[in-house]
Amino acid sequence: MLNEEKIYMPVPQQMGRGDRMGRGPYEKSGIIEDTGLPPHKTVEERFEVLFPVEDITNDSGRVIDRKLLANELDVKVELWYLPYGTRNSDPFLWREAAKTISISTEGR
Amino acid sequence: MKSNSLWIVLALALVLVPFLALAGDEGTGRDKTIAAKQGKANTIAELVAMYDSSSCEECHLDIHADWLKSAHSRSIFGTGRTAATFRTTILNGCMEWPYSGVKEFEEVKVEHLQGCTKCHLPQLADATDEVAQEMMNTILTFMKAYQEGDTETFEKNKATLLSLNINCLVCHNRNAIVHKWTDGYPQQGVVYGSMEGEHPSDDFPAMAKSPIMKESILCGQCHGLGPNFELENPTQCATAYGSYLWAYKAEGGRETCQECHMHKTGLGHNMQSYRDPGMIEAALDFDVEAYGMHWRDGSLVSPKAVVKVAMTNKTGHSIPDG
Repeated sequence: MLNEEKIYMPVPQQMGRGDRMGRGPYEKSGIIEDTGLPPHKTVEERFEVLFPVEDITNDSGRVIDRKLLANELDVKVELWYLPYGTRNSDPFLWREAAKTISISTEGR
Repeated sequence: MKSNSLWIVLALALVLVPFLALAGDEGTGRDKTIAAKQGKANTIAELVAMYDSSSCEECHLDIHADWLKSAHSRSIFGTGRTAATFRTTILNGCMEWPYSGVKEFEEVKVEHLQGCTKCHLPQLADATDEVAQEMMNTILTFMKAYQEGDTETFEKNKATLLSLNINCLVCHNRNAIVHKWTDGYPQQGVVYGSMEGEHPSDDFPAMAKSPIMKESILCGQCHGLGPNFELENPTQCATAYGSYLWAYKAEGGRETCQECHMHKTGLGHNMQSYRDPGMIEAALDFDVEAYGMHWRDGSLVSPKAVVKVAMTNKTGHSIPDG
């Protein structure tokens, strides 16, 4: 349903100039921004995931109701350390958490 | 006549310059470093012999075994990818830059590798350009052998690359002193650590205290402030030490690199970071909270899940390094 990624890292500047990011150490000089996790600070993220629904429409096509298709969602959050920026090369899974989120089926 | 006078002045200058260089006190003791005493290495084998710390293993077995597991013991080879990055650096860097003086791999000199070897092999500064060439050839041969599945050539060249590393003598001699005019130049035959006195070794008969052996600046020599401005074409690999200084120490952090990476984790000379389960566990708090709600979107209800993640970096530097 949703697969969202956030990247935390110092973003190196290419050759210490402009807005272009450098990749190899030989062309990195400076930092454009640092989205890495700063020491002794807490970084908070909030994600929203919509439950699957089926819209019910009237004869003119207007959505008049919404039918919940499942009242439980399995959510998995993973924190990966990717030394080469991709899970295809030497990835390290640092943390993972799984939650099942329920929603009430009663009420209007 | 004018021409003759000029020659005399030049001749005097040639005689005087070396004399003046030796006459001052600057660099006192520089002539007793390993590099000064042994002269520049002309081959990889000579460079390895020059900084050979294999005799340390005889008494410091556990420390050596720990070190062997660390990235320091394979600082040129790495996982294989580190060695390959040397090729990329020359190919995508030096060969593309109009003023580097490198158009072919055969033109690579020590200075062209220093962007990497300043930290991955600091002792390369004590070698001739022939060693830079030999190193480059070894990397190219190793990579070709890998692509062609030539196991014998691959292993032979891999072994050569593994012989180049950050060993005992790099941290406990060559790089053991940062402020050389203040504390003296590291001397050949001396092991620098936390004690002084005799050291039962033929090659290293003396121990001396390094005032920075337990200080973060020792590690900071390589673990990065940002651009390496001392190079003619600055590079930037690690920035962890810069982050440590300005985002950790500046905010009141008190621990040193060694306290976390060697002592608290019990890793000793097997200094690890993002690969080690213990370091990963100690690095951060990770909390996930989740709940559902019926969001009312005008007259319609859109049920949604909210997932909140809180990450607290407990280390002394930004995560990740880079």
